[in-house]
Amino acid sequence: MTFDCKDLNRALAVPELLPDAREHAKICDACRRELWLWNEMSAAAPALREEWETPDLWPKIRQTLVAQQKAAKPPGLAGRFDWRIMAAIAAALVIGISVLIMHSTRPAPAPGAPQDSDFLTEQTLREVERTEAAYRASIDKLTRLAQPKLSASENPAAIAAREKLLVLDSEIASVRSTVSHNRFNAQLQADLAELYRDKQDTLKEILQRAQ
Amino acid sequence: MAAGRLTARTDADLIQASKRGDLSAFEQIYAAHAGRMKSVAFHLLADRADAEDAVQEAFLKIYRASGAIQFDSGLAPWIYRILLNCCYDTGRKRRRQAETPLSAEPPAIPGNVPLQVAIRSALGRIDPQYRMVFWLFEVEGFRHSEVAAILEIPEGTSKKWLFEAKRELKKLLTESRA
Repeated sequence: MTFDCKDLNRALAVPELLPDAREHAKICDACRRELWLWNEMSAAAPALREEWETPDLWPKIRQTLVAQQKAAKPPGLAGRFDWRIMAAIAAALVIGISVLIMHSTRPAPAPGAPQDSDFLTEQTLREVERTEAAYRASIDKLTRLAQPKLSASENPAAIAAREKLLVLDSEIASVRSTVSHNRFNAQLQADLAELYRDKQDTLKEILQRAQ
Repeated sequence: MAAGRLTARTDADLIQASKRGDLSAFEQIYAAHAGRMKSVAFHLLADRADAEDAVQEAFLKIYRASGAIQFDSGLAPWIYRILLNCCYDTGRKRRRQAETPLSAEPPAIPGNVPLQVAIRSALGRIDPQYRMVFWLFEVEGFRHSEVAAILEIPEGTSKKWLFEAKRELKKLLTESRA
């Protein structure tokens, strides 16, 4: 193969081409420098490793583990049916259902005014915002209850749930920000309710799995 | 605590013993991995105290979750996945506490600096995914199969991201030295 300077990048990606690159580098200063840098990055990298002594770290971990072992008790019946979790789920469900009913019983749009039907009236909007605030508070409570169970577990389902909650929170923040500029848009409010419902379902799953 | 003590018992033995509450077995896991874990955590958090906190939190989680470990891809990828999650949690907490953003644009690489210093500076300017693969493979010495298992990506992607990392680094280093 006739090796040219423009082949160098390909040779760096395909190790089989490296002997040709090295041969070419013997007669080309620019490629020799590039090849040297490529190899030198790998040679220099291990020295970037950060090492320092932490004689207190293991004793601290050990102390925490011993304390946890002492504190660990087999869960009784009351532990499995935590009334706070059940109450929070019930509250979130009631509010969630209210939001659903409000959306589903909204009057059908008048045939002559399709554009107006996409927007909420001031009074309806206030009701939606009140309900949303209560719903959000319920879900926040549910989140606080689920958080320790979620943080404590490293099984794949818990990791997936954590990632899903992060995505949902980000989506909720984004839609809420849009809603704040366009409060009368019914579609955005419905999207927000849908995201809250999804978050509530996810939290419920986490709590049920933990029981 | 020397890492050499680990030779007599396998990872699976140590985890089994840890599950039964044997803290000396768990200490051997700590001795074998804590050094490299601190380095990875420091790379992500850029602060020794935060890195130590993340490693401590990771070991507490590893101990609690030792019953759920799957040995399909070995102990190390599982441990480091937990560590990365702890680092991301610590990073998020720190960002919430900080009054000013911590991830400011890294400074340009000055010319005529030792290569290691230049690489460290250039690493701050490349894609974070590429940077993570470069760090795990080139700095910490993991194999591509281990990097892939830690980051939960295909092995081919690990190789491709390493190439991209080195390509971006080479470009930055060449520019700074021109």
